[in-house]
Amino acid sequence: MGSPVFSLYLACPDCDGLYTAPELPEGDRVVCPRCQAHLVTRRADFVSRATALVLAAALFFVLANLFPFMTLKADYRESDMLLAGSVTGLEQQGFPILTGMVGMFMLVAPALVIGALLYLLLPLRNGRRLRGALHVCRAMEEARRWNMIEVYLLGVLVSLLKLEKLATLTLGVSFWAFVGLIVCLAFAVSIVDPAELWKKLEEAQP
Amino acid sequence: MNFDPLTAAARGLARCHSCGQTGEVEAGHCSVCAAPLHLRKPASLQRTVALTLGATLLYFPANLLPVLRIESSIKGGQENTILSGVVRFWQDGDYPVALIIFTASVVIPILKVLAIIALCLAARSGRFPQAMTRLYRMTEYIGRWSMVDVFVVAILVGVVQLGSVMRIEPGGGALAFASVVILTMLAARSFDPRLIWDAAAARGHIVTTDIDPELAGASNAASPASHA
Repeated sequence: MGSPVFSLYLACPDCDGLYTAPELPEGDRVVCPRCQAHLVTRRADFVSRATALVLAAALFFVLANLFPFMTLKADYRESDMLLAGSVTGLEQQGFPILTGMVGMFMLVAPALVIGALLYLLLPLRNGRRLRGALHVCRAMEEARRWNMIEVYLLGVLVSLLKLEKLATLTLGVSFWAFVGLIVCLAFAVSIVDPAELWKKLEEAQP
Repeated sequence: MNFDPLTAAARGLARCHSCGQTGEVEAGHCSVCAAPLHLRKPASLQRTVALTLGATLLYFPANLLPVLRIESSIKGGQENTILSGVVRFWQDGDYPVALIIFTASVVIPILKVLAIIALCLAARSGRFPQAMTRLYRMTEYIGRWSMVDVFVVAILVGVVQLGSVMRIEPGGGALAFASVVILTMLAARSFDPRLIWDAAAARGHIVTTDIDPELAGASNAASPASHA
């Protein structure tokens, strides 16, 4: 290909400033001198570090869905809610669109991010990329924007305070797995710089 | 890292919104990830204004309709809108919760719409490009947190299934409010901050050579722009 344009230049997404692409030592972060937008981060060995975190996130995701998320006690009655209960509850009350939205933001989007990252990162460790990796990577970028598990966590805390006077709420095993999921996924996503991931995918053997 | 006095657009280049690599716009597609390549986001201002308008209109039912209906055999039925929920928390002395909900559901959506209006005006006038770009990044980041009240409704509905003792149902306001949040997120996303810099350059508010040559031309190691 000679010297493709993308390896020569770095353009700022926010102000369109143009820079000749620097040879970056690992661990360096480049910020646009004109508008302070983040341009690129080179992290040492990001593939294996991110893989480990995504695997942990996947495990936490499964655990978060298996056990009771919260238990409500009132007047000698007890009821358990699974993580998915906040989606199925809306469905039972006849709110299909709201069900879809909430399910998308707290279950489907994080699952897609985890699945897509595993699909991309696991083969990359051996310098390979699987069929459709380019589409998967784009889907992952999209799912990332709609993943709101950290906002959901704030919602859980508010709900605890809201029901405090009416009933006793206790947090189940799945709640703690969910916290683990948020932490691992946030770290994994922050380690994977899209530009660097694409560069690696471009170099990988199909 | 060397600074090019021209913008990417002036050289016919653009950063791919999907993979972050720089590509030639003439090719139509990014050479790395095959995503469509545009100099600027297509119809950016029109889309942003249309989505913001939609969000503003839906903001009324979102606040007027109840988000939550509680039916309890002891206390009877009660309906909460977003604001009446905040007031109830405040009266009960739950100040932190009242503040969280008020900030996420009332303050942030209003500030977000105002910020988008300011950004659209700046894309015309080219005033304060640096501050406006910072405002853009904040607007994009903060939008998702408004969804917290919708999640609270979803959690309460899911957890409270005590049959005869108490029942919680979602209200139409929750759907309207979730739509407001989604529309403002899409509006912020369709805005292209590079339009502000285009306008600023066209009106002479910034001259590209104004940039500190030390910052722009310095080598990696010395440049404050890159650090370990």
